[in-house]
Amino acid sequence: MGSDNGAQPRQRLLYIHAQTPNPLSAVLEMTIYEPVAGYKVELTAEEPEFRYATVHEALVDGWQIVQFPLHQAEYDDDQIDMVGYEFILQKMEVVDG
Amino acid sequence: MSTAVSAAPAAAETSTGQKQCTLAPYLLDDLEVVNFIVNGYHVVKPDLRPGVNEAVAARLDAMERNPGDAICEEVPELNEVLDHPAVRGALVSLAGKNFETMFHRHWHCKEPGTPYMHWHQDGKNRRDMGMDKFLGLYYPADVTADMGPTIIVPATQYRNAPTDRMRTYGNIRGQVPLVVEAGTFAITHYDLWHGTAANKSAKRRHMVKFLFSRTAPNESATWKHDGECMNRLRDWNLREQAADPFNQLTFANPLNVSQSDSYKERAIRRDIWEQLTGEPLR
Repeated sequence: MGSDNGAQPRQRLLYIHAQTPNPLSAVLEMTIYEPVAGYKVELTAEEPEFRYATVHEALVDGWQIVQFPLHQAEYDDDQIDMVGYEFILQKMEVVDG
Repeated sequence: MSTAVSAAPAAAETSTGQKQCTLAPYLLDDLEVVNFIVNGYHVVKPDLRPGVNEAVAARLDAMERNPGDAICEEVPELNEVLDHPAVRGALVSLAGKNFETMFHRHWHCKEPGTPYMHWHQDGKNRRDMGMDKFLGLYYPADVTADMGPTIIVPATQYRNAPTDRMRTYGNIRGQVPLVVEAGTFAITHYDLWHGTAANKSAKRRHMVKFLFSRTAPNESATWKHDGECMNRLRDWNLREQAADPFNQLTFANPLNVSQSDSYKERAIRRDIWEQLTGEPLR
């Protein structure tokens, strides 16, 4: 992301699905949403390469958690639903585009 | 417990009305069935009569409208695919001796320039904790990585996951793109998470989807089953690294999910194995 003197910072979003609610656990899925007009995310045939191996690595790189995995929902010890635990992180930066 | 190879139907009638030779050589083995229970998919590469794949692809390319459920009337060579003993042998192994080929089928044509399709499970969220409903995905022409292949996520078939909640997932570690050769027939559990990549090539990507269902509970295993396969001495230290049915059923964790989810998956898999074989696990 390049800087643009005088421009306002924008919210970069990082969704991570981690193995457990612990920020040190392994990343299973990771998607960045850049605050740039027309930005798209897509599924690809290539093996994904993630920028961070854990949520903690993203914190070290300056991302901030804005939503932790929710545990208030009723817990079912037989059924399984989503893959991993969802962390949503942000980084406020001036971005081009 | 006896060691036996299950008998296949001696002369099943095919959809083209032909009597078919024994399926025994084409039945799956214990490890292949376990791998399906764990991962939710199995890929068949039937040795179809020369020209069948090309004929199907040519008819699809010439099609001016999608005939929906009538695709087999418009493309009769598809019946040869469904009747191939390698396809039927896999389906008997997974869906039972009297599996049903359901009425619904659909030609999925991914045109050049078509965007990706997001993760989803077909149907509503009343998921099957058994192994009773299946998708068959037939690809009559080669599918390369840039042609918008189907992408599946192994071991997601027992997850009761509303499709809308999958919209925050991008690429998942362990996902499998079905980059396949012409003639490939992939069988998946109906509830397996799947999507597609974008078609960035200049070619159309064809896939014809079929549905299959179990019509009755198994009375015994319907594949090449060794009744002692779960009872042999095993190296506990190898866990999922060992390619034997017990270790795979118990320890495989294709997506590296949490201990809690892994334990629940293990219980579901063991229940399914017992349902399919009629044999209690120790």
